[in-house]
Amino acid sequence: MGDAIQWESDLSKALARAKAENKPVLMDFFNPG
Amino acid sequence: MGCQQMGAVTFPDTRVIAFINQNVIPLRLPHDHKPLAEQFQIKWTPALVTLDAEGKEHHRTVGFLAPDELIPSLLLGKAKIDFDHEDFAKALVTLEDLLKDYPKSAAAPEAIFLRGVCGYKSTHNPKALKEIYEKLSKDYPDSEWTKRASPYRLI
Repeated sequence: MGDAIQWESDLSKALARAKAENKPVLMDFFNPG
Repeated sequence: MGCQQMGAVTFPDTRVIAFINQNVIPLRLPHDHKPLAEQFQIKWTPALVTLDAEGKEHHRTVGFLAPDELIPSLLLGKAKIDFDHEDFAKALVTLEDLLKDYPKSAAAPEAIFLRGVCGYKSTHNPKALKEIYEKLSKDYPDSEWTKRASPYRLI
């Protein structure tokens, strides 16, 4: 499971994983300040 | 400031890590990402957008969410995807999980509303709609979702 969130950084790759794993994509737009 | 709080409080939470890694594909993008920030009309952060596997948006929140609010919000987003895809049975399973584990969350009243609509869409029995209002007015009298369900009291 890991001790951190395994963030993707590319939408195409995230969508490919979403299809393969039958999961939604959670897109987090963040401002590092 | 909200993004820093999410980074310091919510995303390091062990329950959040486990939930996200098990249930969604997490994608992190800067607020000014080109072209996606414009495509998704991001005007304020933190902005959390739930997409289906085709890239279509189904749920969005803006602003800080504590761990006990983020997880039910993500469950609601998952249920909305199934609802929008007219898989009402699957949506109901997720909504029941949300309401069992996070009944006091901000997502709970909307989940009750959506659960009732799923029930109505599945059975065409208007009693499911009336039960939305009865449950919301009893347990969440001040929720906006109680107001939205108020016409169902007449059923």
